[in-house]
Amino acid sequence: MTETLDRTARATRPPTRRARTLRVLTRRPGRIIGLLIIVFFTLMALLGPLLYPGPLAVDPEAVYAPPSAEHWLGTDFAGSDVLQEVVVGARYVLLTATVAALVTAATGTLVGLVAGFRRGLADSGLMRITDFVLTLPGLPLLIVLSTLWSFSSAFQMGLVLGVTGWGGVARAVRSQTLSLRERGFLEAARGLGLSHRHILLRELLPNIAPYVAMNLLLSVIGFIGAEVALFFLGVVPFSSENWGVMLNQAVFSGGVMSSPEALTYLLAPLTCILLITLGIVLFMDAVDELFNPRLRERT
Amino acid sequence: MRNARRAALPLAAALLLSGTAACSSSASSSDSAGGGVFTTIDGNHPISAGAPMNPFNAAGNTFLGYDTMQLGFTKKNPQDPNDFFPGLARSWKTTDTSITVELEPGAKWSDGKPVTVDDVKASMAIALTQGAATVGAGVLTQGLDVAEIKETAPHTIEISQVPGAKNIQFPRLVLTQKIVPASVYGSMLPADVWDVVHASQSADPGQADAAKAAVDKLNEIGKKISAFAPATDVSAGPFVITRINPGSAVLDRNPHFFAADRIGPKQVVVRNYTGNEQIWNYMTNGELDAAPFTAIPDNVLQRILKAGNQRVDAINYVDAAIAFNQSVAPFDKVEVRRALAHVIDRAAVTKVGQPVGGAASKATTGLIDKVAEKWLTPEQQAALDPYPHDETKAAALLQQAGLTKKDGAWYLPDGTPWTITLQTVNGFSDWIAGGTVLANQLTAFGIPTKTALTADFSTYKKEMADGKYPVGFWLTALGPGTDAAFQRLYGADNGFTAIGAAVTHKTGKGSGNWLNTPTSFTLDGATVDPGELTARLTLLKPDQQKDIVQQLARLTNQQVPVVQIWDYTNVQFVNDKRFTNFPKAGQDGLLSNSPGVWMMQGYVQPKSKK
Repeated sequence: MTETLDRTARATRPPTRRARTLRVLTRRPGRIIGLLIIVFFTLMALLGPLLYPGPLAVDPEAVYAPPSAEHWLGTDFAGSDVLQEVVVGARYVLLTATVAALVTAATGTLVGLVAGFRRGLADSGLMRITDFVLTLPGLPLLIVLSTLWSFSSAFQMGLVLGVTGWGGVARAVRSQTLSLRERGFLEAARGLGLSHRHILLRELLPNIAPYVAMNLLLSVIGFIGAEVALFFLGVVPFSSENWGVMLNQAVFSGGVMSSPEALTYLLAPLTCILLITLGIVLFMDAVDELFNPRLRERT
Repeated sequence: MRNARRAALPLAAALLLSGTAACSSSASSSDSAGGGVFTTIDGNHPISAGAPMNPFNAAGNTFLGYDTMQLGFTKKNPQDPNDFFPGLARSWKTTDTSITVELEPGAKWSDGKPVTVDDVKASMAIALTQGAATVGAGVLTQGLDVAEIKETAPHTIEISQVPGAKNIQFPRLVLTQKIVPASVYGSMLPADVWDVVHASQSADPGQADAAKAAVDKLNEIGKKISAFAPATDVSAGPFVITRINPGSAVLDRNPHFFAADRIGPKQVVVRNYTGNEQIWNYMTNGELDAAPFTAIPDNVLQRILKAGNQRVDAINYVDAAIAFNQSVAPFDKVEVRRALAHVIDRAAVTKVGQPVGGAASKATTGLIDKVAEKWLTPEQQAALDPYPHDETKAAALLQQAGLTKKDGAWYLPDGTPWTITLQTVNGFSDWIAGGTVLANQLTAFGIPTKTALTADFSTYKKEMADGKYPVGFWLTALGPGTDAAFQRLYGADNGFTAIGAAVTHKTGKGSGNWLNTPTSFTLDGATVDPGELTARLTLLKPDQQKDIVQQLARLTNQQVPVVQIWDYTNVQFVNDKRFTNFPKAGQDGLLSNSPGVWMMQGYVQPKSKK
């Protein structure tokens, strides 16, 4: 009898966070694939430069060579290995996008929370600043900045992208906060005399976390596109291992639109960008369910 | 090059600056009225939507040789800087100080008015407001020093240099100015313009302020003229612009052109382009009848040839080099510069940088190889150091200069690691690609090297002049004249200014001297000043230049102020699907000009005449 009760209790006990996460992830194969893609590129960014230490080798006798056992993805305009360039270049691209996304999420969330919760003068002031940031033409501004700043560091570029990109998140978080502010649990928190810090961080933040998390992932995609576009346009430092530079060289120097010799050179970075986008989109489905209790209840 | 178009830009500028060589025979003229639409691109600039039809506007939509005429078109003959195809001038005679031009008697503008001496006078005055004036008063070796223009007979004018000047380039400069109608542009010139010109040319130190004020006034006039937008194109050339769209300019045959019977096509369409890849696409689609030099990779070349285009190579008096700022250590040491010349495998760099339009330089002399071969004796050529790729020699030279190597990396004499930033220009794909290989070679040798890009060429030139870059790409050996070629090394970029044979030298901030080559060397036991020798070249006829050219070439080879990497080849393409009788390889003089000039000589005739 006791054993039966224990078994029933175990069966009705809410699953642990790890079990719940695992269940959400495995519910659809696409989510696992998304996670695997993200892990794959994260490892590439972490370990890529260690796999290929030293400078990129050039071989003027093998310019735009087709894929072979020696060069799985062929070679580029200088006879350098395209696979090596893609692998080594992953660090700059992903680090920039991650830094930019974190700066965007942190700044946008903080500004939106404070503005929405405090209202009044703080709200007006912060929203004017937000409006200013929103009016900044991101890509043209970066093109102008690139004439003054070399952007040789991924952190620098990530910072600039993030600082010019948090306006939208701040606006959305403020709206969410204004809505949550009128809910009963916040009325109760204020009635109990809890500190603003407690209300902001313990009551409001968890409720908007799903939105922020989703936005963080989406902005990674956006920032990868932005930085690759800058390099593609050729307005930032030239580096053979940069995915945007690879696209630029394939189109403007390799004549990929006129002749197929540079096709793998073009497709390699392009495929990586598409795969990362796909991975993030697939994984976001799981994140959505993990953070959204209604979706969990439905299952 | 951001596309190769960008790479071609400095070349185009260089070609405009340079004189020219090589003769070619004239083709037989056609007696037919001709027909067909000739499609091409303008290698100097794409179509600029909204830009005026004004040859003095930086983005102006006019086309040299088609609707824009000169008195003559240079043949780029290194032995005779005054060898030209006739343009609006039927003939000319030169003296040491002047040129007398007989205008083509039948020359008319497209509005039916004749081309007159007044048109030439107005055009010369305008030319003096366009940049030539900005360099200041005095006789400048590269300046257009027109002082007087007088009509000596009907259709004949004598154009004189400022007193005291004997610039051998003067006839070339006069003949290559753009001639515009006084009826359109003349009203923009003040009545006393020639008085202002004379004031600007005063060499009297007591008149320096008045000269500067005159230069400022000319510049003001120049700005207004360059911004002027004529309502219609008035051309004395074989074609006249009838419409300009963002995608192309359409030029119809000018019925008033004095040699209209030689002109084959009835219409020329000049296509717009945003980059080289677009030009390549035009060619692979067989849409262009002729295309000027465009940087091009080998794989695309094969496609272009497969599409029925024919490659026509001509000499190109330009070389791509790596230049050093010798005020920055360790580039102040000749052993270091020589060592770097040995480290660089020029053939490998050329193979990647300019696989189609380049040939690895045989030796650094300040001249392209083909010109150096003409000026130097076989013994002198054999005595030149070709600086072959030899890392052992390079290491020995560096050690001789006090540098040391530890753990595979080179250290400067003060113990700091030696790194190099090789500067190049955004969009110049040949420099960027070549620079990548060069950086790789230097890094592998133990000098960590990275390439850095400057946003555009004008910023690059400015920052280079400010001494911002210790090492960077540079165009040298601009010719065909040896004076122009050596001015790239021992001219304004080295702080030298020449007034006649008198040379002054400046250094430091604001001087424009970024090469910082010393002014005195010992050569064959004698002391020579390269700036002074170069200035003297501008006063000597080619047959008198030999000794100085040989001295400067040998000095350059020994001192290595630059390492010449590749000589450019003027690779052009023609397509004979619609037209025939194109110039052929070897006709360098003709091929250095636009197809409009070919047509004036009777070339480019339609296959089926309508």
